[in-house]
Amino acid sequence: MPLIEFADFSFKYLGADSLALRKVDLNIEEGEYVVLTGPSGCGKTTLCRAINGLVPQFHRGYIAGNVIVDGKNTREHNVAELAPIAGLVFQQPENQLVTLNVEREIAFGPENLGVERKEIRRRVEELIDMLDLEHLREKHPHEMSGGEQQRVAMAATLALKPKVLVADEPTSNLDPQSAVTILDLIADLNRRDMTVVLVEHRLDLVSKDASRVVLMDKGSIVADGEPREVLSMDLCQEIGVGIPKATQIYKRLKQRGFNLDKVPLTGAELATLVQEVKQR
Amino acid sequence: MIFLENVHFAYDGLYTALRGVSLQIDEGELIAIVGSNGAGKTTLVKHLNGLLRPDLGRVILDGVDTKHNSVAELAREIGLVMQNPDHQLFLDSVEREVLFGLENLGYSKVEAKERCERTLNNLGLEGLSERSPFTLSGGERKRVALASVLATEPRVLSLDEPTIGQDARQKENLAKMLGELNKKGKAVIVVTHDIEFVIENFPRTVAMADGRIVADGPTNSVLSNNEVLERCSLTRPQLTEAARCLHNVFPEVPERLTLIDDLEAVVVKILGGG
Amino acid sequence: MSFLEVFQYTRQDSVIHKLDPRAKLFMSIVLAVVALMFLAIIPLLIIFCCLVPIIGAAKSLRRWSRSMRGLSILLIFIIIFNTLLSTQPNPFSHSLALTLRLVALMTSFSVFFLTVHPDELSQALIQMRVRFEFAFAMSMAMRYVPTLGQEAYAIMDAQKARGVELDKGNLLKRIRNIVPIIVPLIIVSIRRALSIAESMESRGFGANATRTYMNVLKFRKRDWAVVTVSLLVLVFVVYVRIFVPLPTWMLWQLPI
Repeated sequence: MPLIEFADFSFKYLGADSLALRKVDLNIEEGEYVVLTGPSGCGKTTLCRAINGLVPQFHRGYIAGNVIVDGKNTREHNVAELAPIAGLVFQQPENQLVTLNVEREIAFGPENLGVERKEIRRRVEELIDMLDLEHLREKHPHEMSGGEQQRVAMAATLALKPKVLVADEPTSNLDPQSAVTILDLIADLNRRDMTVVLVEHRLDLVSKDASRVVLMDKGSIVADGEPREVLSMDLCQEIGVGIPKATQIYKRLKQRGFNLDKVPLTGAELATLVQEVKQR
Repeated sequence: MIFLENVHFAYDGLYTALRGVSLQIDEGELIAIVGSNGAGKTTLVKHLNGLLRPDLGRVILDGVDTKHNSVAELAREIGLVMQNPDHQLFLDSVEREVLFGLENLGYSKVEAKERCERTLNNLGLEGLSERSPFTLSGGERKRVALASVLATEPRVLSLDEPTIGQDARQKENLAKMLGELNKKGKAVIVVTHDIEFVIENFPRTVAMADGRIVADGPTNSVLSNNEVLERCSLTRPQLTEAARCLHNVFPEVPERLTLIDDLEAVVVKILGGG
Repeated sequence: MSFLEVFQYTRQDSVIHKLDPRAKLFMSIVLAVVALMFLAIIPLLIIFCCLVPIIGAAKSLRRWSRSMRGLSILLIFIIIFNTLLSTQPNPFSHSLALTLRLVALMTSFSVFFLTVHPDELSQALIQMRVRFEFAFAMSMAMRYVPTLGQEAYAIMDAQKARGVELDKGNLLKRIRNIVPIIVPLIIVSIRRALSIAESMESRGFGANATRTYMNVLKFRKRDWAVVTVSLLVLVFVVYVRIFVPLPTWMLWQLPI
């Protein structure tokens, strides 16, 4: 049974003119690293919200089809019940830090769910250690950089021990190096068997770690598969998704009749592939 | 046209943000300012239109020190579009929002109307002129905020993080529009983290760190310089990475390379040359 | 506004900081009540002399004295006005005593606010049977008020850059100029509130399960000691005030 199952799911926000999601069918298995991308307004954020029940429980609207997460239908369970299954990280780190120090922030989720005190303390210490937050322990959100805030927000979400981490453009307000730190952390979590759904525009930074890329446009899924396969489709340019430069070069070379052995996703990969062809 | 001369600035006199910045901006330039958060980029552009005044040093416009000019006066010459469009939109239609800035700067009703229409057309917003900005999407609101500044046709347009939250297509459109403005002789300055956007559209890059300018020159050489990338919390562009790796095997490949056409040509030469 | 600093929590490692907020609240109230019971210079000076070491124990003397200096102009103003307008037999001594009492009151409460972290305060309220939602709303306000301030500045900058002249024109124009600041501020705050709510909801806020708390405040021996001493002081002072007339040296007034 897949961990997340969208079955013919459609959603329209209250007061909106058009569907935010139309007839989405999507299965995500445990351990996958899914990168979700598409032009602005394509429904990525709504899809994330549907995974933990924010849609339709918090954001009301018209709904058709079902979303089943770890065997639970999101129509029938409230967001709090789904919180230990799907943890969401959002775009604005500021708005996710609701207390005045890091320890309390991490404890906030488990406290809400009534986890035992000793266990909360254990999780807080574990996450402070794992995400390297020791130096921030007593700090006020205002005393942290955006990247640090986002790391704390991740810890606060992970404290609920979710089975899937859903991150909706967690790096779009960060400088490139902080972004890389967050993305590396996400990749690392995935290597430790965490299922990941990540919405991201910077495909040049994430596609090398992803196991799957899902492309959305106008509320529907228009492509779904291996990163190398999806990113080399002409469809990407047609709907306005920026693919990695290395992949662009691959496509240009192909037009000129030079075939590389596989689709490169990073600069180093491109260099190696060119070298291999040359040596032949 | 604009000259910042050894500008120092500290917030509340305590938090130093600029430590002696000198920068010359000429008519018709396209300049990108890059650097990590807190490097002083936004502080710098706020000095151009007088939102902030230097503690030390001068800001000179057309040979005259601007210290006696009000922000409103400077705003006619130097437009600034802030990062968050929601910080400036407050009226109930897109058209009125654009007219507001024009009227503030003293344009007549007729001329304001004409400029407004022209700008909305240019930005593809003509269909939305009657809509309330609050019902628009984030990308559209960003364009409305831009339109409201652009309509005043300043000689210098500075934009703070214009690409955040914009997809590839929207970025292309923005770049196209900035390019057209530039052809009309306007100077355009963007503050951004988006190096791909810089590489493709801005011939000159100013890199900042710790309140100082650490590099200022052709984008190609600034953004392929490892030390600059490191100090400004930037990541190496993929193409430069590829070029570096190729350079190790094929010495004829230039190590510093940022443009896709150049790399393509180089690779074709390697493969085709046999 | 530097005098407000004295009501702002500062991180310190001190005996007073370590006390239970409830004990400190009790102590502050007792100190304030005691100060309210006297209106003569000498007894208030004595109270004052007891307060200063407490501030010192909280390692906050510098901050406190800076705030008092910030306040001094206002205090002098109060003294002058009171002296001029007072109908008391010795107006100057009377207004001096009034001012001393004000400073003593402020200092008593500053002991509390200087040393109680807002999160601790809300925890104390919760343990005093205030509903979690209310206590948490209060600490959220503390968390986001500075953010709101920053936002207001950013909005002013954005509008000034469009040629709005905030500090020019007659009163009517100035009032009209507030609109381009207030409207975006409200809209931005609503958007932010929604986004915060979304994040809190996703972390189980308002779940049905009984909420637990990682840090529970515990009344230790030292807290009981503080409460006992405060109580004794209170009883003693009340007794003295009711049954013992103050010796004349305590009622000493300035000769003018």
